[in-house]
Amino acid sequence: MKCGNGIEARQVDELFINIDPIQAGGRLTADAMKAVIAYGDGYSVCDNCRKPNRLDYISKPPIAEFHKDVAKWLNMDAVRTVPGARRGFQAVAHTYVKKGDPVLLTTLSHYTEFLAVEESGGIAREIMANEQKLVTPDATAEKIEAVKREFGRAPVLAFIDHVDYQYGNMHDVAGIAKVCRQYDVPILYNGAYTVGTLPVDGKAFGVDFVVGSGHKSMASPAPSGILATTAEREKEVFRTTQIVGDVTNRKFGIKEPEMMGCTLMGVTLVGMMASFPHVKERVKHFDRELANHQIVMDALLSIEGTKCLSEYPRKHTMTRIDTIGSFDTVAETHKKRGYYLQSALEEKGITGVIPGATKVWKFNTYGMTTKQAEHLGRSFVAIARENGIAVKG
Amino acid sequence: MTFQAIYTLTDLRVLLRETAPAHEFDAKQKEQAQRLLENLERQVGSLKQEMLK
Repeated sequence: MKCGNGIEARQVDELFINIDPIQAGGRLTADAMKAVIAYGDGYSVCDNCRKPNRLDYISKPPIAEFHKDVAKWLNMDAVRTVPGARRGFQAVAHTYVKKGDPVLLTTLSHYTEFLAVEESGGIAREIMANEQKLVTPDATAEKIEAVKREFGRAPVLAFIDHVDYQYGNMHDVAGIAKVCRQYDVPILYNGAYTVGTLPVDGKAFGVDFVVGSGHKSMASPAPSGILATTAEREKEVFRTTQIVGDVTNRKFGIKEPEMMGCTLMGVTLVGMMASFPHVKERVKHFDRELANHQIVMDALLSIEGTKCLSEYPRKHTMTRIDTIGSFDTVAETHKKRGYYLQSALEEKGITGVIPGATKVWKFNTYGMTTKQAEHLGRSFVAIARENGIAVKG
Repeated sequence: MTFQAIYTLTDLRVLLRETAPAHEFDAKQKEQAQRLLENLERQVGSLKQEMLK
């Protein structure tokens, strides 16, 4: 079945349980799929764009209302939609980081945070995660002090991931933010794995910016995301254009340079908007997601030699697992080598594990039904037994 | 009417996602599928009437 020249219709999530760690929270809701069908044309949300001609002022479809609702939902004062969390990092870094400025990241930070700092000429300084792969307030204070000794001043900005992409561990953002505030370091909360799956209260965390990813955690098409900020920082990061053409004397109204004018002008934005009521509701039920995740964890950890590399008990549905002592022992002699695990999973209707991975890999159960979680857990155990790996109980 | 039919198919698509990979429907899901398919037949019938008159 093709949907264009050489483009196969994608049916991954219709045919399989998809445990890809980065895809789970971005799967569209039915309403988002419907909105995507109706708003696929390029400038589809711009039919009723009126003065002052900016995306977040459009009232039909209710884009202006959506912006206000998202800000309120995150307990922040202003929001803009951005083409992915990385563009939120970029806007903030470009506003606050100048050449040679030290910027605080962590040893678990996403690469796009580094790139945002690099693009602005900043110098990355990482807070070391501890043995449990957790970034702590104490380690933050130590690193800020080290930066002060090295640069003679505190970092100009800190990027902290609430749940990191490597382990899916949950870090003490409120504690870290408290330390940053003591040193007057503005703090960006990276909620790529939380905004849209877990309740997020920016003011309670004490952060200056909240960045979320639409396609990672808000059931939205890619690339989409949000950048939220406080009333104080709004004037800085969402400052309006001042430039004037010397020949034409043109000015550009209230367009915002960091946003490059309007941001999400079609299917990405309406997809986000259509999913939003469902997203607001689903964050209240993360306990159900963790219960489903536990079903799978129990099954995996019943397989001899399997270790959970993420913090345990789990606080998030994305987990890093070590199967060097279990599934990988089979890969050495199996005719399909390391590909046997992926192949066996696919035979059981499961996809999303990196082909060939049998040592250390990640998976995410977000959005699964309990029945699907049970099937996934049973499948791991069955594959272990079929390949002679001992299973407890 | 085209949107209604496409949206009904979208609801069916979501049902397939929720029941992957075996697509074994429980009683509630069977009832939902039946209702959606009946709606779809009605919507396609209306489309035939409107577009082929």
